[in-house]
Amino acid sequence: MDIFLQQLANGLTIGSMFALVALGYTMVYGVMRLINFAHGDMVAASAFVGLTIYTQVMGQATSLVAVIAIFLLSAVAMAIVGVILERVAYRPLREAPRLSAVVSALGASLVIQNGIMLIWGPRMRIFPELVPQVYWDFGGVVISLIQLIILGLSLILMVALYLFVEKTRMGAAIRASSIDQDAARLMGINVDSVIALIFIIGSSLGAVGGLFIGLYYRGITFNMGWQYGLYAFVAAIMGGIGNIPGAMLGGMLLGLFNAFIAGYVSSTWADAFTFILLIVILIVRPTGILGERVAEKV
Amino acid sequence: MKKLQRFAYPAFLLVMAILPNLLDSRWQAVAITFLIFSVVALSQDIILGKSGMFNMGQALFFGLGAYTTAILNAKFGWPMLATVPLAILIPALFGILLAGPIVHLRGDYLLVTTIGFNIVFVQAVQNDLGGVTGGPNGIFGLDPMNIFGIQLANQLAVYYFAFAVLLATLWIMRNLEKSKAGRALHYLRLDQLAAESIGINTRVFKIFAFGLGAGIAGLAGTVYATQYAAVSPEAFDFIQSVLFFSIVIVGGSSIPGVFLGVFIMFVLPEIFREFATWRFFIFGFAMIAAMILRPRGIWPATFGKIPKFLIKESNHGA
Amino acid sequence: MAPNQLILTDVTKRFGGLTAVDDLSFKVEDGQIYGIIGPNGAGKTTVFNCITGIYKSEEGSVKWRGEEIRGMTPYQIVDRGIVRTFQTIRLFSQMSVAENIMSGRHIKSKQGWWHGIVHTPASRRDELANWQKVEEQLDFFNLAQFAATPTGSLPYGIQRRVEMARAMAVEPTLLILDEPAAGLNDKETMELLQTIFKIRDKGVTVLLIEHDMDMVMEVTDYLTVINFGKKIADGTPEEIQKNPAVIEAYLGSEDDDDE
Repeated sequence: MDIFLQQLANGLTIGSMFALVALGYTMVYGVMRLINFAHGDMVAASAFVGLTIYTQVMGQATSLVAVIAIFLLSAVAMAIVGVILERVAYRPLREAPRLSAVVSALGASLVIQNGIMLIWGPRMRIFPELVPQVYWDFGGVVISLIQLIILGLSLILMVALYLFVEKTRMGAAIRASSIDQDAARLMGINVDSVIALIFIIGSSLGAVGGLFIGLYYRGITFNMGWQYGLYAFVAAIMGGIGNIPGAMLGGMLLGLFNAFIAGYVSSTWADAFTFILLIVILIVRPTGILGERVAEKV
Repeated sequence: MKKLQRFAYPAFLLVMAILPNLLDSRWQAVAITFLIFSVVALSQDIILGKSGMFNMGQALFFGLGAYTTAILNAKFGWPMLATVPLAILIPALFGILLAGPIVHLRGDYLLVTTIGFNIVFVQAVQNDLGGVTGGPNGIFGLDPMNIFGIQLANQLAVYYFAFAVLLATLWIMRNLEKSKAGRALHYLRLDQLAAESIGINTRVFKIFAFGLGAGIAGLAGTVYATQYAAVSPEAFDFIQSVLFFSIVIVGGSSIPGVFLGVFIMFVLPEIFREFATWRFFIFGFAMIAAMILRPRGIWPATFGKIPKFLIKESNHGA
Repeated sequence: MAPNQLILTDVTKRFGGLTAVDDLSFKVEDGQIYGIIGPNGAGKTTVFNCITGIYKSEEGSVKWRGEEIRGMTPYQIVDRGIVRTFQTIRLFSQMSVAENIMSGRHIKSKQGWWHGIVHTPASRRDELANWQKVEEQLDFFNLAQFAATPTGSLPYGIQRRVEMARAMAVEPTLLILDEPAAGLNDKETMELLQTIFKIRDKGVTVLLIEHDMDMVMEVTDYLTVINFGKKIADGTPEEIQKNPAVIEAYLGSEDDDDE
């Protein structure tokens, strides 16, 4: 029972992080039908950016105000990078075959990953202890303050995003562009702005995810984005690509599954089992658990 | 242009035949890998370029062939040459079995499942599945390849073995293009509904493409095992699949395109090895630029290869 | 040997709450040129899609030569001698005319999948024989000069001919044409008429959808008229022209030509 509850706690935490990152993938895919392979690396980059803001800008301050500032500044920085990424690597390929954009995304991934390495070096860096190491022990099940913060903040952000997309006009524009870009344009929606917006939102959420990764795992390396990004993308697909609640569900599901496999089977088989789960889900439900929400050209 | 092409192929092959004698040991190894990767990339082209299926797991089949050879030789004492048929058939079989449940999936979903298969394979091998795969360190100390009495004991001999395999692959690719099966792959890629409606069983041919691509990649795996007398999991992880995927898209779905792709994606980084820290950074930009400038690849596929007796008057092909 | 008849009985096709085809029955006899007509959106193409296996009708039966083909896949139906063309032309646009027509020979070719890896003398003979059949279609449809041209770059009228040539290369028993005259000018429509008669003379039964009333009256032997997915009349062209229900359905929408 102990293991179960512990893995449950771990799984929810990891799942929240996956969900935040998965949202970036799913929003971009929904409107542009593009797998933004560079997204994972952007998440990694935000951890390093956060590190630098902490040391250079905040002078290593760890007050609540300083921490909030680090989060906000990192999110803004990554949002800017995201918009630049879209302009440089994706916009010129809007009319090109889809696979060309995929390769461009792979190239962008290389650029960002190696950019991190060039600036911060190839070795692992330690992310600052922005949150005090407070733990609670519930009879064998250990829960940390960090976990609670990650879980809580992620939920707040996901609910906020959901409300934004479902209830606001801008959100409606995003949903319309997801269903039919051309029709949206004809209705007077500035699709370019919508695309910039989803990159801003996706990159910001991913940035928060990246900072959480730094907080939770403490050690960060320039190439950690690849693996993490792949998992998050899998989560988005599991939930139904293009589907925002689907990405949240997929992220949580993946985090829980991963934690339970690590706890009950073995961490060396975690990847394999996760992908087997994905394959089984796709064979049974080819459009993901909650179904996809993507522009379909018949 | 056609005249140039007719001379270009034999000239290129001639150059490749003479090349290793002009290179030092390090560059010979690079050249051998160029040949091996070309074979894998051509096999990837069958699935991705011709059939249009988003396969990002080709390293799986490459690895299955390599590991089949390694396991049969190191654990069961088979001579290296004897491992070749199984190193082709086992990956081919996997190609067919794995393709079956997934070929109907839409592009990006298929992509993710192929990545999944690749990752499952690598992790299974790392975990020493069945006790024969050698774990994270792989299997080493394989015997040299012995072809009917000729021992491939030095790098030059291995080069010519790899070259022969490439020639065989090029021959198969040519046969494929001029066949019912090969054309069927193009048709189903360009318009699956139209292909079905004209009588093509698209499912069967998609699985065929996977099986054939897997078998050829498996053969390349044997050559790899021969070159290094060893196999290890990292050589077949999904990053390698990404490489093979990119080669076909950047170079273009044609034979010169694939060679160009291997050169750009593999040889160039080797040439710039001195600029270790910067090379992949620049390379990423190069990939983006290549796609923006040539979205269909540097040397895309061309059509219009029809028998001469059908071509009348002034039209001479696309 | 069952006769070459296509019999639809009470075929119904629904898409969610919409009934696109409602209890439709008709019979196409061997050697006929049979027409399905009706106002826009009447469900005609959906009927064709049900016959050729793109959709499976919810209810009813589609029998060809006595065999139930409802529920079969498109390629299985082609294997039984039924081939169709599409209202929006669906050619393999990057490929040449000859290669497009060659796709029609796929099902007739005796090559196995292994001939994609290694050729044999038999497979080479098969290749040659099929390219020669392609040549026959190029000549029949007057496309010889375009053999090596990519179809995407050809004018619309010629693309339509290529699509028909591709279908005829399958040597079908029943040829289904979905609005073959759409987008054609008067001269091209006349040529199309002659071509359809020549095809019938070869022993092929023709089933077509058309909007161009003049053409329909000229070329068809028998018609079924559909509106809102239901049959409202059938008969010879002369009978249909005088049928009050048909006239009412078309009132206000003089379908001379579209596109």
